[in-house]
Amino acid sequence: MKYPGSAECQRLAFLLEEALARESRLWKMPLHRNASIQGTDISPSQHDEAVLWLGELCSRFKFYPETFALAVSILNRLLAVVKAQPKYLRCITVTCLILAAKTNEEAEMILSVGDFAVQSQCNCSPAEILRMERIILDKLHWDLYIATPVDFINIFHAMVMSSRPHILDLLPQKNPSRHAAFLTRQVQHCMACHQLSQFKGSTLALAIITLELERVTPDWFSVFTDLLKKAQIDSVEFIRCKELVDQYLSSLQLSSLPNMVYIYDPANHDLMAHHMKFKPKEQEFPNPVNYRRKKINTHVKVMEVDDFYDGFVYLYNEGMTAPETGQSADINACEKGLELGSISPCPPLQTPEI
Amino acid sequence: PVSTKESGSQHLELLDLTPLAESTFSLVPIQPSRYHTLQVRRPKVERPRRNSEPLGGRSFDTGQQWRSGLQFGVVTSYLNLEKLGDGAYSTVFKGISRINGQLVALKVIRLKTEEGIPFTAIREASLLKGLKHANIILLHDIVHNSETLTFVFEYVQTDLAQYITQHPGGLRPNNVKLFMFQLFRGLEYIHQQRILHRDIKPQNLLLTYLGELKLADFSLARAQSVPSHNYSSEVVTLWYRPPEVLLGSTDYSAALDVWGAGCVFVEMLEGVPAFPGTTDACELLQMIWRVLGVPTEDTWPGVSQLPNYRAGQWPGDLLGRLSRVAEDLAGQLLRCAPKDRLSAAETLRHGYFSLLPPVLLQLTLEIKNEGSLCVPAPTRQLKVPMSP
Repeated sequence: MKYPGSAECQRLAFLLEEALARESRLWKMPLHRNASIQGTDISPSQHDEAVLWLGELCSRFKFYPETFALAVSILNRLLAVVKAQPKYLRCITVTCLILAAKTNEEAEMILSVGDFAVQSQCNCSPAEILRMERIILDKLHWDLYIATPVDFINIFHAMVMSSRPHILDLLPQKNPSRHAAFLTRQVQHCMACHQLSQFKGSTLALAIITLELERVTPDWFSVFTDLLKKAQIDSVEFIRCKELVDQYLSSLQLSSLPNMVYIYDPANHDLMAHHMKFKPKEQEFPNPVNYRRKKINTHVKVMEVDDFYDGFVYLYNEGMTAPETGQSADINACEKGLELGSISPCPPLQTPEI
Repeated sequence: PVSTKESGSQHLELLDLTPLAESTFSLVPIQPSRYHTLQVRRPKVERPRRNSEPLGGRSFDTGQQWRSGLQFGVVTSYLNLEKLGDGAYSTVFKGISRINGQLVALKVIRLKTEEGIPFTAIREASLLKGLKHANIILLHDIVHNSETLTFVFEYVQTDLAQYITQHPGGLRPNNVKLFMFQLFRGLEYIHQQRILHRDIKPQNLLLTYLGELKLADFSLARAQSVPSHNYSSEVVTLWYRPPEVLLGSTDYSAALDVWGAGCVFVEMLEGVPAFPGTTDACELLQMIWRVLGVPTEDTWPGVSQLPNYRAGQWPGDLLGRLSRVAEDLAGQLLRCAPKDRLSAAETLRHGYFSLLPPVLLQLTLEIKNEGSLCVPAPTRQLKVPMSP
């Protein structure tokens, strides 16, 4: 395996600078007050629900994690500038995804708006989506291309791998692509937590990669300070974010219930109450029970399938190495099992190895 | 003087084909330090709105004659002057902004009602919003109506395709060098941000009357993710499409734009396209192999794995007729294997540009002053004569 040299480091540093500039130009902090996003009637848990739904749609349409992250960023930026009623949230969410797909996916992957409306089961008409598309573009001044947490995690990860290649040997994955995909999944989980959505993508990504470094290497601190300096992130914000991420991710790990991730609400530990709160909303859909089951299954699939693995091969100049084939066969089997309706527990996230 | 411009196109051809003394049109002396030639556009029978011509590069900036209270994003803030061209899904007009009197190019995109905003328009807008560089077209404003969507760009007089047509037999080597330098500055800038243009061709390289070159048409462009994904192989106009895309590769990189720029380089020097391969990818590949040799696993590791690769009867001569250093550069840009091509940044340091003033290499990359409509370009400070 080849490791890029100092030219690569310089290129990544420039890329990070550009991404930070774009973020500081476009990022807006969503305000939370009285358990609802300020100025709107959309509650934090409805927001999280919308993000989970986006994740499910992205995996159904086989979109890249970057597209998911862009859709969530568009959603968050929109909710920070407009007052939106919960009844429009589904339409807003699916339109954010369409815009993210139009920005980030190739032409042959983009569905027609009609197909989007039907296949997403968003319960809104193409005409409503098109009206929403226009509103969102106008409100965000057509400026959709923001640097997302997924972009930052990829940049940070590439920086760590190119500056300190020895870290790779300490990883359980033993493979930078697989490791990056693992971190990307953590980012995706964290994006579905409204408390973490008040942090910038760069801060969130740095918190996730720092927690990971802490776990794998004793000299994590030097790596971390290096990144913190390059990313010019406020350290107080960072510490707050890191604690929250730590709590949130370990709550996902420690849960014995496989689907804990979908119902966990840090602001509201009473799971029953949480479910109750969503009852009325579900009745809006033609077949709520069916819908929910489907949703859980597909989301488990997101966690199982390492489908963005392929993308990293090129970055690290890995050939099509043999060891992966066995594993991907397992994944396929798993996926099949899921589709047949068998209940497979979520794979636990990596347990800390200190 | 107005007469210069009106007879400009004749001047040009005469300048190229007959000695100036024999010209019947030498009423006005040609000043080598001004770039008359670039003001020339396709000859038109009727030119009713002559007063819109950017005399001396300055627009009507008097301040009073333009109404205050007009806003950006509103269609009434712009006047259409004349149609400049028709595209597949858009029409480009020359226009004038009633807000500040600047000349603008209005790209009017027809909206298909059932699909909403075309993804090409969303990409072009969202990418250009973040790109500010002397060699990238500037997007001023977006006007969104129910039937049309209008992008308001800075007005640029002509493009490289027209310029090449007006100067058959190839451009002057000095001009080629200046155009190439600007083209690669633009490419270096977007590639550093991991943006692929994916449609480099002379039609998309706009030229101002001062000789500034600007990359335009970002509708096929995309941001490249850090871990590379599979991209569409239906990109780049056929003649400028690199061999890896012709062979069906979907994990191409910035070298894709470098190939297109290499083709443009040869076309500027020779006056004809480097690889004018009708409409068929296979025929185009054969043309490329004939010039560059058939790639093998030794010269291009992995080539045989590409989807459209077929080992077969592909004959194999070399680039001729160019100056040695230009030939060397063309040879390093037009390499079959994407990894062997120079990057945009490396190209700018190639010996071909060594005679340009060194101060050019120290120019800052990005325009910091976002509000400015008059973008300083590298060539403006140069005072290099640029007649064709």
